[in-house]
Amino acid sequence: MTTFIVRRLLQLPIVLLAISLLIFGMMQFLTPEQRAAAFVKTEQQAQHLDQVIRQYNLDKGFWVQYGSWLKEVLHGNLGFSKQSHEPVLTTIAKRLPVSTELALYMFFPTLAFGIWMGTMAAIHRDKLIDHIVRLFAIAGWSLPTFVLAIWLLAVLYGYLHCCGIGRADDKYMVMFAQGTLKTYTGMITVDGLLNGRFDVFLSGLKHLVLPVITYTVVASAQIMRVLRSSMLDVLNSDYVRTARAKGLPERVVNLKHARRNAIIPVVTIAGLMIAFMLEGVFFIEIIFNIPGIGQWSIPSAQNLDFPAVIGVALLTGVSVSLANLAVDILYGMIDPRISFQ
Amino acid sequence: MNPQDMKPKRDPWYRSKTFKRFRRNPLAMVGSLLLLGFILVAFLAPAITAPQLANTPSARPCLRDLGIKRSEAVEVLRNPLNAVFWKAVLAPPKSCYNIPRASFSPLPKPPSKKHPMGLSGGSYDILYGLTWGTRTAFYVGFLVVGISLAIGIVIGGLSGFLGGATDNLIMRVTDVMLSFPRLVYVMIVVVIFGNGLTQVMLALALVGWAGYSRFFRGDILRTKAQDFVDAARALGASPLRVFLKHVFPNAIGTLLILASMDVGAIVLTAAGLSFLGLGAPVGYADWGQMISFARGYILGTAQGTPFDFWYVWIYPTLMLVLFGLAWNLLGDAVRDALDPKS
Repeated sequence: MTTFIVRRLLQLPIVLLAISLLIFGMMQFLTPEQRAAAFVKTEQQAQHLDQVIRQYNLDKGFWVQYGSWLKEVLHGNLGFSKQSHEPVLTTIAKRLPVSTELALYMFFPTLAFGIWMGTMAAIHRDKLIDHIVRLFAIAGWSLPTFVLAIWLLAVLYGYLHCCGIGRADDKYMVMFAQGTLKTYTGMITVDGLLNGRFDVFLSGLKHLVLPVITYTVVASAQIMRVLRSSMLDVLNSDYVRTARAKGLPERVVNLKHARRNAIIPVVTIAGLMIAFMLEGVFFIEIIFNIPGIGQWSIPSAQNLDFPAVIGVALLTGVSVSLANLAVDILYGMIDPRISFQ
Repeated sequence: MNPQDMKPKRDPWYRSKTFKRFRRNPLAMVGSLLLLGFILVAFLAPAITAPQLANTPSARPCLRDLGIKRSEAVEVLRNPLNAVFWKAVLAPPKSCYNIPRASFSPLPKPPSKKHPMGLSGGSYDILYGLTWGTRTAFYVGFLVVGISLAIGIVIGGLSGFLGGATDNLIMRVTDVMLSFPRLVYVMIVVVIFGNGLTQVMLALALVGWAGYSRFFRGDILRTKAQDFVDAARALGASPLRVFLKHVFPNAIGTLLILASMDVGAIVLTAAGLSFLGLGAPVGYADWGQMISFARGYILGTAQGTPFDFWYVWIYPTLMLVLFGLAWNLLGDAVRDALDPKS
C-alpha cells in the first residue's frame, strides 16, 4: 500500500508536466506580443514590449520558450491579470480558499445523499420508494446546475427569505475586512471557529445552504443511479443469499454485505465527479455571488484575460490530479482485493 | 442451394425486440412527444413570431432580407403556399436570429398582446428569443455531437484496430481529456480564439470525442472476440477487411444510438456557457442568452417583490429543462431497450 502511494505520488509530476505541455501548446496560437502582455503590469512596460519578449524568450523555439515559461510558473510567476489588477497567483491565493470551502461542503452531502438514495431504491426495488427516487434522479439529471440555482435563488432566498447569498452576513464580512476578526485560512466557517466566534460559523453555514442544496439535487442523481444498478447486481449474488440463509438480520446483509461491495463503481464516479463539481462551483459562485475562483475567471475569459485563464487551467490540472490520486488510494481502502502491483 | 437463401432473414429494425421494448415504455413516448413539440416550434419559428417581426421596428433587417413588407409579414409568414414562408422556415437570413428589441429600456415588461411572453431585461422579446433559440439549440446540439462523434469514431477505431502502444497512448490521452472540466477547455479556447458561438461549439466538439472513442474502442474489442470474426480471419481475410467488413459495422450501432441521445446534454451545456457569457454575441436568439438577460431581475426590483419579473426567468428556464427532460427520458428508454437486464 505505502509503495503504491509513493509510486503514484511520483507519477504526479509527470502528469502535471503533460498538462502544462498541453496548455503551453495551446498558447502557441497566440502571437508573442499577446503572450508578452501577460507579464506587463504598467503602461511603461507596455511601451517596451519587445524587451519583455526578449526577457522571457518569447521569440525563441518551442522548447526554449517552454523551458523559460515553466521556470516562471515554478517560481510562481503566472503573469498579471487585467481582470483583478494583480498577479494571477495573488488572486488565486485569495480566492482558492473560498472555492475550496464551497467544494468541500458540496461534495460530502452529495455523496452521502446519493448513496443513501441508491441503497433505498435498490432494497425496495419496484416499490414506491424506488419509483420516487428514480423520478427524483431523472429530474435532478435533467436540471442544469445554473437553472436550479436560479429557481432556488428566486423561491428560497427571494420569496421565503431563507438562508443567504454571498459568504456570510455583511457585518461579519466587514469585521473580517477591518481585521476585528482575524483571517487564518480564508474559509469563513473555519475562521469563525478559530476566532472562537460560533455565530460567525453559523452565519457561514447558513450562507452555504443554497449552494449545497443546489448541487446535491443536481449531482446525487448520478451516484444514486450507479449505486442502484450495482447494488441490484450484488443483491442477486450467491454470498448475499448465503448471508440471508444463515439468518443474519436484513439490515446487516444489506449494508455490510451488499452495499460495501456495490460501492466500488461509486468511487469511480466520485472521481469523475470532481471535474463536474468544478463546473458546478463556477456556476454557483456566479449566481450566489460568492467571490471564488469562478467569479473571477469567467469574466476573465470573456475579457480575453489569458494569464488568468491559463492560471486557472493549471490550478484545475493540479486539483484534478490530486483528486484522482485520492480516489485511487480510496479504492484500496474500500476493496482490499484490488492489488497495487 | 443459392448462397442467398442461406442468409438468415433479418427483421426490419421496427420489428426488432429492442424497438418493441422501446415503444412499450410510456416514458419514451412522453419524451418523444415533447421532442416532437420542440421540433415543431423550431420548424415553425418564423410563423409563430410573425406578429413580433411585423410590430417591432428593430426586426426590420430580417423582414428586409426576406423581402417582405411589415404590413404583409403576418399573412406571408403564416401561409405555407407562399415561397417566402418556405424561405423563412428552411433558410432564414442571419439577421432573423437577432432578437428584436421593443425599446432600449433596461427594465423587463410583463406579457402583453404585442409580446405574449413579455420583454426581458434590455427589452428583448422573450417569445422570439425562445422560439428562434430552439433552432439554435438543435443546430448546436446536432453539430457538436456530429463532429465529436466523427472524431471519436476515427480515433476509437484506430485505437481498437491497432491495439498495443497506440491504443495505450490514445486511452491515456482520453483519460486526461475526461478528467478535465469542459468549462475550463472552453475558457481556454475562448481566450485563445476569441468569444463566439463557433469557438464554443469547436471547444465542445474537441472535448466530446474522448468519451465516444473510449466507448467505441470497448465495443470493438468485444466484437473482435466473437467467433464470426475468427471465422473471417480463418478464411484468409486481411486484417483491414476483417475490421472494416466485420468488426466495424457490428460495433458501431450502439455508439450511434447512445451518442444521438447526447444532443440534449450538449444543448444544456452550451446554454450554461452562453449564460456565463461564453458563446453567441449579445442579442442572438439562444436560450442561455435569454436566461442571462434575466440575471439582474430574478430577485425583483425592491425588497419583498421577488416575483415581479417572474416571466423573465421562468419561461427560458422551463424551456431548457423540458428540452433536457425530453432527451433524458428518450435516452433512458433507449438504454433500457438496448440492455434488457437493467
